[in-house]
Amino acid sequence: MFAAASLTKVFPQIEPAATYSFGGSGALQTQIEQGAPADVFAAASSKQPAALYAKGLVDKPVEFATNTLVLIVPKSNPAHITSVSGITKPGVKLVICNATVPCGDYARTAFKNLNITAAAMKNVVSQTTDVTQTVAEVALGQADAGFVYITDADAAKGKVLVVGLPAQAKPGATDYIAVVKSGKDQAAAQAFVQKVLSPQGQATLRAAGFGKP
Amino acid sequence: MTTAAPSGSRHYDQTWWYAALGRAVVSVGATLVVVVVMAFLLLPIVALFTYQPVHDLVNGFGTKVATDAILVSLKTNAIAFAIMIGLGTPFAYILARRRFPGRSVVITFVEVPLVMPPAVAGLGLLVAFGRFGLLGHTLTVLGVDLAFTQAAVILAILFVASPFYLRGAIAAFEAVDATLIDVAGTLGAGPVRRMLRVAIPLASGGLGAAAAVAFARGIGEFGATILFAGSFQGTTQTLPLAVYSLFDANLDQAIAIGVLLIIVSAAILLTSKLLLGSWTSSRSTSAYPGERSSFARP
Repeated sequence: MFAAASLTKVFPQIEPAATYSFGGSGALQTQIEQGAPADVFAAASSKQPAALYAKGLVDKPVEFATNTLVLIVPKSNPAHITSVSGITKPGVKLVICNATVPCGDYARTAFKNLNITAAAMKNVVSQTTDVTQTVAEVALGQADAGFVYITDADAAKGKVLVVGLPAQAKPGATDYIAVVKSGKDQAAAQAFVQKVLSPQGQATLRAAGFGKP
Repeated sequence: MTTAAPSGSRHYDQTWWYAALGRAVVSVGATLVVVVVMAFLLLPIVALFTYQPVHDLVNGFGTKVATDAILVSLKTNAIAFAIMIGLGTPFAYILARRRFPGRSVVITFVEVPLVMPPAVAGLGLLVAFGRFGLLGHTLTVLGVDLAFTQAAVILAILFVASPFYLRGAIAAFEAVDATLIDVAGTLGAGPVRRMLRVAIPLASGGLGAAAAVAFARGIGEFGATILFAGSFQGTTQTLPLAVYSLFDANLDQAIAIGVLLIIVSAAILLTSKLLLGSWTSSRSTSAYPGERSSFARP
């Protein structure tokens, strides 16, 4: 199972027996394009599965969850950020994901929705290749703020504080899953997708903070 | 078995054939082993060089991401290299010349970063020098914030690469005939002069080779840098970090930068071999400066 880094905690709860490779959705896409032995691809966006579907490498992707982008700051909040506008203050060390990774794409959409693109991008000191790295930089206190999913913020509870985004800023973060055509065990892959979509799988996702598809 | 044989004896005849057969099997086997190992080592390099047309490859070298990463890599590595030589050379000289209790412990600790996974080195640097690390508060008071700066990149390179120099330099100094240095002393040369004018020139081959290996390691440094310094184009994104970052965005460009790194590393390796003066010697397998005979002089 190739799955987005944001699914690192929840997927093994749904299916403990599977073998997982978690990473940035963009990196996983490249790996599948290069013939990596994946049976299922679950991404934190519709873009990467759609691109693979267009190339005929995966079956039609299905939306299985939604997620919410939030701003997190270290518990000690060194830059005193209390609302999303705080990230535009000069000297704030902001970490976001690469534009090719869903979390980076969503962060940029949020900047655009809030009309703070120039000021916010000026404060970006590091760009990561998956969301877990962004969480780590903030949890360690190296960065003053970072944009991640609410589900990751929950997982790092105790080390970070969550600053919600205003409704108009929120990009629609959707998680898609698809069976990889070159996978060895199509039946097992289908079964996995069904399990994720099943009431039980959905309940596990809800419990981890993911929204309804 | 009735054809001409070196001996009329049937027994001898058989032994001769078996021996010949044995030699043939051994030489075919030996060739096969060499071919398989070489193919395994060279294939990924060949694949990287031939992945895209040469034209695209050369274009990849010139992209903004690549040129930014080249500049960051050159600058941070040059500074780290200067610090490594400036501090590491006297350090290695002292350790090679002096005998004191705990010397072997010191030398062992010098080598620890060599066997430490780079990601662990990055974590160590984070919890030591990070904003909330051991020295983080002290540094903040002093107005130093290393997070996501080129200084952090330099520290990561120094931590991971300089032990290669230190270890080689200690071995190089140890291989210098101590009586020559002592004689210089009796002729009135002070300790600094003895090191600069006698020991360093005598150990220069080994020092140069060790420095080249450390430089190559520094250019390729990845794990500690991404954890400790982050990755941002034009500031902290070195060549290996650019490869990693481009992997999911533009594989062609990532490979072009990868090829560039291979060329640079190969050039450094060649330099170190030449410095050791063992290029023509088939016995020398690497620029490992610990091999005394290759640079010890009469």
